[in-house]
This record gives sequence, structure tokens and C-alpha cells, in this order.
Amino acid sequence: MTPPISETWRLPPRAVLLAALLLLVTAEVGGASMARFKLELARWARGEMQRHPAVHGLVGVRDVDERALDEALFRFETGLRLFHMHAEGMALVIIATTTIAATLTGGASRRALVVLLAVGGVGYPLGYLLWSALIPGLGVERGKTIAEWTFWIPFGCATIVALLWLAALIAARVIRR
Amino acid sequence: MRPACASALALLLTILAVAPATAHHTGTYTPKDNAITTNFKQLKFSVQAGKFDVARRLFDDGPLRREMRARAAALPDGLEARTRAAFDAGDAAEVERGLMVFFAALGRDLALEADRQLAAGAAPAPTGARFLEAIWRYYNLVDFAVSRRDARASVAMRLAYDDAEALVRPAAAPAAVSAARVRESFRRIADILSGIIHAPPAPVR
Repeated sequence: MTPPISETWRLPPRAVLLAALLLLVTAEVGGASMARFKLELARWARGEMQRHPAVHGLVGVRDVDERALDEALFRFETGLRLFHMHAEGMALVIIATTTIAATLTGGASRRALVVLLAVGGVGYPLGYLLWSALIPGLGVERGKTIAEWTFWIPFGCATIVALLWLAALIAARVIRR
Repeated sequence: MRPACASALALLLTILAVAPATAHHTGTYTPKDNAITTNFKQLKFSVQAGKFDVARRLFDDGPLRREMRARAAALPDGLEARTRAAFDAGDAAEVERGLMVFFAALGRDLALEADRQLAAGAAPAPTGARFLEAIWRYYNLVDFAVSRRDARASVAMRLAYDDAEALVRPAAAPAAVSAARVRESFRRIADILSGIIHAPPAPVR
């Protein structure tokens, strides 16, 4: 016989909640800094790009280079913006999904799910910050490849695996009832 | 759940997760107009609307005229003065011709600079692609005006551009792009644009 389902939500470990809140704080501080230091950031990025002309394919002709610089600057700002948005979103995703995992799963599965959801959720947005930081010196594509293999793929994978696993466990529970 | 079953499930989940995890939002870049092309569009729409006083003001204070003055030595004699006079006279065809010659000159100078840089040893594929992009950004603004005066030149320019594009963006082996052939295609573009710049005024079709 299936044991009665608890009517109360269980909180995830406090360390997970703290990590999610710190991510939220970073997102807000990052967003505010982007607005406050927009000009300084753009000036720094442009200066760095001009110090690495070969990386950005600059040829020393204004009509040709302005578009390459404009695109790299656009990607730099997009990376910062996406960090802000993903960090805000993932912080809430961590709280929601680890709460579900803590409430509806048990034993080793619960621990593994909470770790995967927390680590994946915190790490993924940081990839955007790294991408932005790398664009001026290494270029859009090389920076993207590094961010992909160090942050987006491992941490994104962890989150997706954990979500699929959690969904499968809950679906199995629903079917069993 | 048995260990073998759990391992198989973990493997399946990881495989399912890898594909979406390799796709990330990185934004979509849309190339923007620069100050000169923006000013050109303002002038064009003002003239089309018959607002020559507005167009003249935009020309007098705009970056396009400043660039015309800065490049006066490379342009046909009196181009800026003739274009200014056309605004005063409300002569749309002559305004269009003045702007057409100016943009063709910008494109020609870029083609010549590309040829010079390739001769100096620049990598043909990336350098060629960047210059072609810049040439087309200017030329495509006046292609319609060129085709109304000299349809052959317009077709020749399009063909030359397509050929150059195929050379610098080959489907396979981008490392094997021939600098000599890319230079030749830039010289061809420069010749066609020079023909447009120095052609006598032709009736508009």
C-alpha cells in the first residue's frame, strides 16, 4: 500500500537556498552595474578589441572595422544582459526545483538531485559572464567555445539531467498511485 | 531500482540532455547603419517626399557632406557643389546622381584598399569577406540609381560581387583561397565602380 503523501513542503538544505540567494544578489548587482557603468564597460571593451586587431579581423579601415567592432560590442553587452537574466531566472529555478526534489523524492536520489540542480543552476549563468569577459581579448567565437566547454555544457547538462530525472521520478510516483 | 537499470536511465538522461545543453542564447546581431548610410536614407526619403528644403538642411549639416569634403581629392571635381546645387534647384535626378557617384567612389576606394592589403600579404578569405561586406553596404544603396542609368554596369557589378563572394567564402577548403584571384576580383569591382563614377550623365529610365 502506498504511504500517505505528506501535505507539507520540505525545504531544501540551507546551503542551497543561500547559493540561490547569492546568485540572485549577483544578478541584481550585475544588472545595476551594467546600467551604471554602461559607457565605461563599452569603452573598455572597445579599447581591448582595438588592442587585439587580429582577433577581431580588423583591417585598419574605418568603414570595414566599424561593423566588426559593433558586432563584438553587441555580443559583449548581450553576454552581460544574458548573465543578468539567466542568474535571476536560475536562482528561482533552483529554489523551486530543489523544493520539489526535497518534498517528493527520498534517499540517495534526493541528495543527488538537489546537488545537480543547485550546482547546475549556479554554474550555468556564470558562463555568460565568462563569455563577455573573453570577447574583447579572444574574440566572439573563441570566447564562446571556452564558455561552452567550461560552463554551459557541463552545468546546463547537469540541470537538464536533474530535471528529466525529477520528472521521471514524479511521473513514476503518479503512475504507481 | 536495480543498479544496471539505474545506470541505463542515467545514460539515457545524459544523452537526452547533451543536445539541448549545447544550444545557448547568444543574441541575434543585426548590422546597423553607420552615420553616412543613415544620412543617405534621410536625404533619399526627404527628396522622394519632395521636401527639398529638409533634404538640403540634412545635407548641409550631415556626415555625408563632411565625408564628401574629406574625400574631395578622390571624387570627381565639384561633386559636392553640384549635389548642393541640385538640392537648391529641387532636381531629384541630379541629387540621386551625385549621391550615386559618391557611394560608388566609397566602394571603389574600399576595393582598391582591399587589393593593396591582399598584395601586402593579408589573409585573403577573412580580409576579402570583410571588405566585400563594406563595399556592398555602400553600393546596394545606389544600385537602383545605377541600374536606371546604366543597366549593364549594375549587372556587371552584381556579377563581380557574386564571383568575389564565391571566392572568399568557398563551400570547402577555405584555407585554399587564392589571393591572386581575390585581388583580381577586387580590381574588377574597382574598374566597374570607376566606370560608374566617370560616366557622363545619362538619361534616367
